[in-house]
Amino acid sequence: MSKPSDLIQGTLDLLILRTLALEPMHGWAVARRIQQCSEEVLQVTQGALYPALHRLEQHGWLRAEWRDTETGREAKFYALTRAGRAQLEKELAQWERLSNAVGLVIRTA
Amino acid sequence: MTLQQRFDITRSRLRSLFRRKRVEGELERELRFHLDQETEANLRLGLLPPDARHAAIRRLGGVAQIQEECRDMRRTSYIENFVHDVRYAIRALGRSPGFALVIVLTLALSIGANSAIFSVVDGVLLRPLPYPQADRIVRIFFTSQTFPKFPLNPFDLRDIRARNRSLGCIAGITRNDLQLSGIGQPERLSGFSVTAGYFRVLGIQPARGREFTTGDELPGKGNQVILSDRIWRTRFSADPNIAGRKIMLDSAPFAVAGVMPPGVAHPGNAYHSVADGDTVDIWTPFTYAGDGAQRGSHYIEGIARMKGGVTVAQAQADMNLQVAQLGREHPDAIQGWHPLVVPLYQELVGPSRRMLLVLLGAVALVLLIACANAANLLLARATARQREVAVRAALGAGRSRLVRQMLAESLLISLLGGVAGAVIAVAGVRALTSLLPADFPRASDIHVNGAVFAFTLPIALATGVLFGLAPAMQAARTDLQQTLRESGRGSTGSARQLWLRNALVVGEVSLACILLIGAGLMLRSFVNLLRTDPGFRPQQVLTAGVSLPDAKYKTGKDIAAFYDRLSAVLSGIPGVRSAGLGTDLPWTGYDENISGFTIEGRQPPPHQDFHARFHVASENYFQALGIPLVRGRYFTPHDNKNGARAIIVNRIMAQMYWGTDNAIGGRVTFDDHPKESDWMTVVGVVGDVKDRPNSAAAEPAFWWPVLQTPFPSSEMSIVVRARQDPAQLIEQVRASVRSLDPALAVANPRLMDQIAGNSFSTPRFALFLVALFAALAIILAAIGIYGVISYSVSQRTHEFGLRMALGAKPWDVQRQVMSQGVGLALIGIVLGIGGGLALGRVLWSLLYEVSADDPATLASVGAATIIIAAIACYIPARRATTVDPMTALRAE
Repeated sequence: MSKPSDLIQGTLDLLILRTLALEPMHGWAVARRIQQCSEEVLQVTQGALYPALHRLEQHGWLRAEWRDTETGREAKFYALTRAGRAQLEKELAQWERLSNAVGLVIRTA
Repeated sequence: MTLQQRFDITRSRLRSLFRRKRVEGELERELRFHLDQETEANLRLGLLPPDARHAAIRRLGGVAQIQEECRDMRRTSYIENFVHDVRYAIRALGRSPGFALVIVLTLALSIGANSAIFSVVDGVLLRPLPYPQADRIVRIFFTSQTFPKFPLNPFDLRDIRARNRSLGCIAGITRNDLQLSGIGQPERLSGFSVTAGYFRVLGIQPARGREFTTGDELPGKGNQVILSDRIWRTRFSADPNIAGRKIMLDSAPFAVAGVMPPGVAHPGNAYHSVADGDTVDIWTPFTYAGDGAQRGSHYIEGIARMKGGVTVAQAQADMNLQVAQLGREHPDAIQGWHPLVVPLYQELVGPSRRMLLVLLGAVALVLLIACANAANLLLARATARQREVAVRAALGAGRSRLVRQMLAESLLISLLGGVAGAVIAVAGVRALTSLLPADFPRASDIHVNGAVFAFTLPIALATGVLFGLAPAMQAARTDLQQTLRESGRGSTGSARQLWLRNALVVGEVSLACILLIGAGLMLRSFVNLLRTDPGFRPQQVLTAGVSLPDAKYKTGKDIAAFYDRLSAVLSGIPGVRSAGLGTDLPWTGYDENISGFTIEGRQPPPHQDFHARFHVASENYFQALGIPLVRGRYFTPHDNKNGARAIIVNRIMAQMYWGTDNAIGGRVTFDDHPKESDWMTVVGVVGDVKDRPNSAAAEPAFWWPVLQTPFPSSEMSIVVRARQDPAQLIEQVRASVRSLDPALAVANPRLMDQIAGNSFSTPRFALFLVALFAALAIILAAIGIYGVISYSVSQRTHEFGLRMALGAKPWDVQRQVMSQGVGLALIGIVLGIGGGLALGRVLWSLLYEVSADDPATLASVGAATIIIAAIACYIPARRATTVDPMTALRAE
């Protein structure tokens, strides 16, 4: 199991932040949501997901708390902090710029 | 970053650090929850329960790795890992306490020795002298072809003081001990007579009263005194109104001008040498009396403070101008003399500097060897632990993590060594200061202090990294699969590793050889020094000082009469073989010369005057000291005021000025136009005594009889040769002096043996330490050789078993093992001798009558090292021969 490259790692951070912007959820739900929204294209491995969650929490962009799920089990829910929201804005803008640039190159080259 | 965010980050880090258990538990619960969700999802997809679970587990991947990565993400993993690594290191060391003990002890010894020597270097060389802007203080000497450093004539000093431009302040200082009386016990006070501005040169203000001014230098103003803080407190009960009070010194009243603050010590001098840092009790003004046109006598020491921005070279150039000008005004007196400006620091520590740096170099070599040794032992162990490392790597420990872990172990070892070393350093510094030669400069400045520990700690850490890095890198490079596949078999170290370990041993041996060569050379010079005939027999001789106060013994006749009587009384003490008096004792730092005399029928060497050390001696002085008679006779009672004027010369003077030992009947005079009665006749030639045991040659010298000397000295030394223990005569000597004058004190009773021993103390000190370090070095090298060979034997058990099964004799096996070790040692010896030859020049000034490439020393060092290497190899080689072929083969 190799480590995700920087690009993918950065992208994963963006995906997680974007996903959690909707509502607080636990790790499994985050993975699930990313998978569903990408129509099963993006499969987030747990080996990458949990370290990323812990890293984002460490940066102060996420806050975690233990809560009951609908099924009554206790799970660790992650929520976006204010700093996380700001970070999301920043990363979105960056992503936008990058994908535009890549798109331009692909179309005109 | 917002405050809130900062707070969040800090909280979560603290949480992961201090509530580790809980955080770990949460992580596990989180992952388990994930697993359960995944399993349920799989079930919903229609998988059977066991398959659903397995699929979930497969998807999750290595739980341990995720946990490890999450920990890394929390950033606190560094600290956590560090704590972990240290705990692991403690456990690992605990498993092989003997190994740990050897490394820690050797490191402690070498780190401790380094810190101790560093303390001495710090106190003597590094710490600035205890004066404000001490780098501006310089000593001023005259220098000539014959005398490299000579005191000044006071009138020359006064003229230079008035005319120079580069020195802000110039002062002269000369020894002037006085006897305090009138309150309590009479006490001989160590004192100096100083010109105006002396304390301004040093940058010290009197605590009370005032310093001497040029007004106090006028004749008749001499009876003033500045007291040291110690004398003011102990003898005058810290009288606040002491200034102006009259006290009795040498039976004359002196007005107290001031009191110095505590701790004003002597800045050191060479002439009638008083060590730097010696306590001074009193300072009296130097008064200019006599004829300023007569400038032949040189006895005052110059010290000065340079103006800001002036360099030593500029001061020297300015001084050259002044002395050239003086030369035009007083052509006779100044001829052949040049000024010499030497920074005080250099003057004080210059002679000891090289020795200290040699010691520091030697002790640094020991530390290097100890590092190589520790690296070697760790490498051997790392090889033995290859499987453990491989297993840890297989379980997911990253390479950097493995390196860090191995480094934690070596750092732990080095820190333990450092702590133990600090303890050794404290004891070592105490031992060193007690071993230091008596006249060692700035000995009072040597202390164990923060600077020393600030030195020890980085040294310890650096050694830890130095000896830990190689084994750690080695461990990280371990090839997982191969190591694990080799499983049961003892894994042999890679060729590269073997090479590294051999190189370490060769390095250790060569460094140890360099130290042994140094120690050998110093030992040889020390033996040469001891073997050299001192020129006198110091055994069973007691010496002491007596000084007559000017007020009571006004004329030379009074002085001579007293000493003549004292000589007779001392000779009468039961148990005394012979007793005499003289102005000087051998090997006590005398370098007073007289020139300008005429020898009948002889011409001085071109561009030189006749010159000689001059002394006064009583009838039995030479017999008491055991200085042999070469020709003629010793002094007798007939060499008195009425007898013909006689002198005794030493052999070198006879040879230099008469060209033969037999100078008897030769005549000398100090008069430019001598009458018949002005001639002094040589009646005896005595053996030579050098200034110091390691001086190249003796200086020409002559002696006047006490009753005939034109320069009676109020201070004389008693010399008593005893039949038995000379120390038991001290009281009788005191009583003899008291019987002639109850007010006189006997100063500084010492055995001549002690004085002679002290003059060997510097070479003995250096030899002792270098020999100690060399011994430590060779022991470490032997441990290194032993380690490498016994490791290689344990690795080759199988091979030896096979060989012996095939008919090899035990001796063959033993020879093979020994030759491996001795071969390494030989390479080390060759390199070491090469290094020793290259470094020999450093030692040169510490050697006496032995050259730095002395073949005997090199050969014996080589032989000794081979023998030690062979002994170190012998034990593992024996073990190799006891291998039972069957067991060795079956072990496969």
